[in-house]
Amino acid sequence: MTDKPRLTALRLHKALYPIWKNDPGWKGVFTTVNNNTIGNMFILGATGMFLAGGILAMLIRAQLASPRSAFMGPEVYNQIFTMHGTIMMFLFAIPFFEALTVFLLPGMLGTRDLAFPRLSSYGFWCYMIGSTIMIVSLLAGVAPDGGWFMYPPLSSSAYSAGINTDIWLLGISFIEISAIGAAVEVVVTVLRYRAVGMSLDRLPIFAWYMLVVAVMILTAFPPMILGSLILELERAFDMPFFQAENGGDSLLWQHLFWLFGHPEVYIIFLPAAGVISMILPVMARTTLLGYGWVVAAAISLAVLSFGLWVHHMFTTGIPHMGLAFFSAVSTLVAVPTGVQIFAWIGTLWKGRPELHLPMLWILGFFVTFVMGGLTGVMVAMVPFDWQAHDTYFVVAHLHYVLIGGYVFPMIAGIYYWLPVLTGRKRFFRMGETAFWLVMVGFHGTFLLLHWAGLLGMRRRIDAVEEGSGWEFINLLASISGFVLAIGFGLVILDVAVNAFVAVRGRRNPWNAGTLEWATPIPGPAYNFASIPVVTSRYPLQDNPDLPVQIARGDGFLGEPFRKRRETLAVSVSHGEPEFITVMPRNTVVPFAMAVVTSIMFMAPVFKWYWLMFVSALGVTALALLWAWSGGSRRDEGLLDAGRGVSLPTHAEVSCPPGWWGSLFLLLANSVLFGSLLFGYAFLWTVAPNWPPLRILQADILEPVAAASGAVLASAGIRLADHAIRREGTSWVGLLVSLTGLAMLGAASITVFGGTTYNAHAYDATLWVIAGYVIFHAALAGLMTLFLLFRIRAGYVSARRCGDARVVRLWTDYATLAALLGLGAAWLPGWLS
Amino acid sequence: MTDILRISLPLTVWIATFSVVYGLEGVVCSDLWTAAGLSLGQGRAALVASWIVAIALQAMVLIGLRIPRYGSSLPWVQRVSTILACVALVATVWSLMPVVTTSLCL
Repeated sequence: MTDKPRLTALRLHKALYPIWKNDPGWKGVFTTVNNNTIGNMFILGATGMFLAGGILAMLIRAQLASPRSAFMGPEVYNQIFTMHGTIMMFLFAIPFFEALTVFLLPGMLGTRDLAFPRLSSYGFWCYMIGSTIMIVSLLAGVAPDGGWFMYPPLSSSAYSAGINTDIWLLGISFIEISAIGAAVEVVVTVLRYRAVGMSLDRLPIFAWYMLVVAVMILTAFPPMILGSLILELERAFDMPFFQAENGGDSLLWQHLFWLFGHPEVYIIFLPAAGVISMILPVMARTTLLGYGWVVAAAISLAVLSFGLWVHHMFTTGIPHMGLAFFSAVSTLVAVPTGVQIFAWIGTLWKGRPELHLPMLWILGFFVTFVMGGLTGVMVAMVPFDWQAHDTYFVVAHLHYVLIGGYVFPMIAGIYYWLPVLTGRKRFFRMGETAFWLVMVGFHGTFLLLHWAGLLGMRRRIDAVEEGSGWEFINLLASISGFVLAIGFGLVILDVAVNAFVAVRGRRNPWNAGTLEWATPIPGPAYNFASIPVVTSRYPLQDNPDLPVQIARGDGFLGEPFRKRRETLAVSVSHGEPEFITVMPRNTVVPFAMAVVTSIMFMAPVFKWYWLMFVSALGVTALALLWAWSGGSRRDEGLLDAGRGVSLPTHAEVSCPPGWWGSLFLLLANSVLFGSLLFGYAFLWTVAPNWPPLRILQADILEPVAAASGAVLASAGIRLADHAIRREGTSWVGLLVSLTGLAMLGAASITVFGGTTYNAHAYDATLWVIAGYVIFHAALAGLMTLFLLFRIRAGYVSARRCGDARVVRLWTDYATLAALLGLGAAWLPGWLS
Repeated sequence: MTDILRISLPLTVWIATFSVVYGLEGVVCSDLWTAAGLSLGQGRAALVASWIVAIALQAMVLIGLRIPRYGSSLPWVQRVSTILACVALVATVWSLMPVVTTSLCL
């Protein structure tokens, strides 16, 4: 490097740093929207949850180490195993890969931050507050105790009085906001925020995996959120969704839960596979073999995983043909999994592997995950599953898949990206010892527990029976379990010591080819001094000088003369520059909104519904404040983006980032609504005591009002949109749209009049459908009013029409949901 | 975005048809089917017909993605979407094969 570029890079850093830096001191913790800071805090939080879940695991093993153990009673034991599963699945596994993604993804993609920085902050605080509530409930002795999948009728109020189950249902739903938010963020970031020239075939493989996982989160989580909400409605208001005597069916919960629960396994595995696909080629000093095949395998695995949920329900009496469908898909998923495994083996084969610590953990993954995968194929066979269901064989299988398939690769990832995370190179060498302790401890625990399961040991029992033949196995498993815990403890200690004490490292110590190694380590708040231009999947291998070129501002937006947080959005397929996004500054609004949202979710636990409504108003007010603070009151036209290219800002394009975020949020929303309609059809088809005695009969007036409302809402917002683009009068269209939305709401309210919410599952379902339609009509109405005020305040013009596009999207969705929902509610009445 | 749709389409069609056939099997085995005056034999026929339609749909998607007019301009996207269309076709044949090999409503 010559002196000139170095001086230029320093000057650029001095110009960018004040723009992107966090607020100083403790204030900065609550106001930061920076992906590096939030990613770090997220990783720390998720690691804390891993420790908490691990401690509970040790309590379980202590209890089961000897027959008839009096270490804890069944009431406490139920809370311990429920919270162990809940913490590990919801508070550790998903948040940990989200944390890593928040931290790493902008670096890998060559952009300055994630698409919605305030959403990162909001998601993080929702997670932290929700997790804290769950842990406090455990310490207070009121933790959930119905198992991590909360099957009714056990979790219904008849058998689980008290607030334990409510805390799970509302707490987990609250925490899932974090997952949904992160998923929207990841999808939009991967599709639109990348280095210039990074076409779809040049995406870092981790980005492909995370894109797939994010779409899975958007489509898998809504069924469980719906299930949680209707189970809570049943517990709070006796709406009988799961009570057979009133037309409900507890199997509905199992369908909704496993519609989420099985894809969840792949939601956890695929990020780990992404980590492996990033690390393995670097360790083997080559490139990934079969990039396109690996992408296709990840997508196949993701979608096929949605056709597996019933394989958790093989013993529920579903007809043989139904079982055979799901058994067939269960065997099919082994194929894309195998494609990935062989691509990794092929990568090792064509390269020259080096056995560094990340590689050691990946080898541990190979051994363990393949064993877990094979027992997975065993339980996919219906006759075998009938024997092994709800035994320790399944417990052992799932730990092989989740620890072997997720935790080991994540540890490999932490060691691999430690220089990016901390700026230091590993000096202390406890990691190797920890690896062997974990391997011995893990297999000593869970290999043996397969055996206990085959001998008939049921999961979730609080005491090993004397003379059962399971005593010695459990003793050995418990001893091994403590070895495993020591191993994991040593990993955390090793990472912590190396993070805080080890010597400073150099950039890109592994000679990797992807862009996260092109920034100084640890990365500055702005990540890239200028947005790079790439021509291959491994830009650092093609151009070793790229880090210097980026640092001295040779890329796009290399001159921050507008003194605001700017990054570049590119076209989806080819990665061509399209517009400049102005990112938000530090703000406390996301934190405040997370606090108020937590009150909104937790108030119903104590039946404080007035507080729930007050906090819902608070959330609405903060959301409006959030949305109001974006945009611009003047047209800026085309701006210099560097390298001789001029681009508009995000406020002056027809589909701004908010439109894209809304699109994917609505995808999740539509899956939730689709799950509700599925539940309605399921109950009508399968549940006992159907059809109900009284069916809703709609007069001609209600359908006419709904149809007219739909036409007015949809036409009105289009009229307004066109008027805005032509600088005409938009308020007429907005008023028409508001009238239409009000008519849709009014038509939905009539459903309440014709039904009694707690009489039958049919009535209860119609109340939820009508409530959903009213909520969305009200939301679209609120957004329309918001748009009206934005127009008056000068935030909207013919060029700055993005707000109108966003409102149009939500209005169209509300209209469609109303037509479908009300049609489903009235159809049986018309047919009868 | 159309390239993302090309990549997403084949297996989305698979999950949709899989859900429809599973749902139909539920309807055939419910009281609604017999109440409508239909027999189990007709139920089997409906399931087989829906399986054939699902296979035909997947074949159309595969052919469509190979036609230059509908295919991607990026060769890599074209290749990956073709692989996924083949996967979806095989998945449709395999996962819904129980409509002809397994007992109904037992």
